[in-house]
Amino acid sequence: MSLIEIKDLKVHYPIRSGFWNRVTDSVKAVDGITFNIEAGETYGLVGESGSGKSTTGKSVVGLEKVTSGSILYNGKDITKKENRRKLDYNRDVQMIFQDSLSSLNPRKRIEDIIAEPLRNFEHLSKDDEKLRVLQLLNIVGLDADALYKYPHQFSGGQRQRIGVARAVATNPKLIIADEPVSALDLSVQAQVLNFMKKIQREFGISYLFISHDLGVVRHMCNNIAIMNRGRLVEIGTREDIYNHPLHIYTKRLLAAIPETNVNQRAAHRASRLAVEKIYEDQQSKYYDEDGMAYPLVQVSPTHSVALPEAIAKQLASQEGEVQA
Amino acid sequence: MAENFEQHSDISAADLARLNQEAQAEATPSTAKIIWNEFKADKPAMAALIIVVGFIVFVMIGALFINTPKMMETNIMDYFDKPFTAGFWLGADSGGRSVAKQLIVGSRNSIGIAIGLTVISSTFGIAWGLISGYFSGYIDWGMQRVYDFMMMLPMTMMIIVLVTIIPHYNSVSLTFIFSIFYWEGTSRLIRSRTLAETQKDYVAASKTSGTNHWKIIFKEIMPNISSLIIVDCTLSFAENIGVETGLSYLGFGLPNQTPSLGTMIANANDPSNITLYWWTWLPAALEIVVLCLSISYIGQVLRRAADASQRQGAAD
Repeated sequence: MSLIEIKDLKVHYPIRSGFWNRVTDSVKAVDGITFNIEAGETYGLVGESGSGKSTTGKSVVGLEKVTSGSILYNGKDITKKENRRKLDYNRDVQMIFQDSLSSLNPRKRIEDIIAEPLRNFEHLSKDDEKLRVLQLLNIVGLDADALYKYPHQFSGGQRQRIGVARAVATNPKLIIADEPVSALDLSVQAQVLNFMKKIQREFGISYLFISHDLGVVRHMCNNIAIMNRGRLVEIGTREDIYNHPLHIYTKRLLAAIPETNVNQRAAHRASRLAVEKIYEDQQSKYYDEDGMAYPLVQVSPTHSVALPEAIAKQLASQEGEVQA
Repeated sequence: MAENFEQHSDISAADLARLNQEAQAEATPSTAKIIWNEFKADKPAMAALIIVVGFIVFVMIGALFINTPKMMETNIMDYFDKPFTAGFWLGADSGGRSVAKQLIVGSRNSIGIAIGLTVISSTFGIAWGLISGYFSGYIDWGMQRVYDFMMMLPMTMMIIVLVTIIPHYNSVSLTFIFSIFYWEGTSRLIRSRTLAETQKDYVAASKTSGTNHWKIIFKEIMPNISSLIIVDCTLSFAENIGVETGLSYLGFGLPNQTPSLGTMIANANDPSNITLYWWTWLPAALEIVVLCLSISYIGQVLRRAADASQRQGAAD
């Protein structure tokens, strides 16, 4: 059984207008997505900004009110508040935020910040708690003298590691990492990512890794879902997505990864333009008449794409993939 | 589970005391220390602090040694005695009552009411604003309509009516009557900041850490708007001295036999008092000016202490 099963999750925000302020329409931030996260794996959720990937992450951790659909954890639907409370759900599912500064309370000392989930879920004695906080700081590579300092006294990378320490404090099974490194510069990104991988190896944590950076996702994730306008357009293993992309949106995202090989500059430019041309010419083929993605169709045991069945098969055979 | 952490970290219980000591040495100074540094850097504010605290302590203790009913007895022989005559430091008023003693007891009453009013109305206003801003939605809507209704009532008139209706009132009941009307400004101010603060990620992080709503409101959000709260409290304290004074001046504040700064300034209603017998009202008026000025100086220092970019005090 999967660790988390997300079934047809929808998060819609009402738009109110008119004299009576009635609900006239809704923004479909997340519009019917389905996927499973296995224990111990890193699941990548990729998409442009506004595609609903952060909303999905917040729904999984219980911060967002879900319109319909279900998220199953241990067979219980945790979109309901009382189920979350009964399971002590957030002891097992934690979150790392994008903005490390605003996610740490500026008026609290590091000890209190990291100890917060411990105080709510574990009720340790004072000495045990302090010891646990020191061990956590040690695991993320910070010195003990951070204990009584405030968040603004640390650099971005250090702060993000404090965020990681807080998330792993209760030894959770799943951590939602919402663009954990996109606010950091490249050398620090690598440092934080490697810490996250190390912690995953040592504690057997699963990640739901939300990012728009395909380079980072390739480094971190085994399974990847691509999101566009609130729907999933492609699901597959790293191999499927990077080597056999089927949906035009995925191809565009991949084409947008910067290449450092200057000698091939002209060739890269040509391939980017070619992808863009296909997108402009064949948009109607890839999206339905409302401009939304189609339902997912399976093309191989691991690989699904949001296209009408006939087109999906045709593209898959072009890519030379083995049919399921 | 604890073993899991033991395994991957080379810190064990034996290191606890040593590491704790190391951390303590590197600890950031507390807020109280920062405020104190800020006062040390600003001499006028330091003087203001000494004046305000010294004066409040003086009148609170001094008033204990004065027999008020006896002091308020009319003594026609001392009718408008000049200052520094016949044992009257600041002279006597039309009833031959010592102005100096009235000033002490009157200040005690006025400041007592101001402190009581600030504590009650700010506590209520802050709680109202925080809860309203944090929960938003229907709760916010309902609470804000109550606020709108209270704002709509003509405050001074309502207080005068209430004071006239209630047969026996004293400084305590007067404080409560004022409190009904003076929480609104604070609550709206606090609500607006809370709305912004609630959207920040640390609130979301606290929610995922399993902290309940009340703890988030009063232990996470409130410390973050403490600068606003401190400044608002000091300024509304200065304002609240004026509230009682103004109403007593109009004759609807404290009863006649209870001296207050307002009843003393009311002596200036009489033109001959203003020109000839200036000592009956001038000390009280000066006291209010000095107190309010000093308090606003203190408020400025507290505001600077709360905002790191404005600090003047030596950085520890």
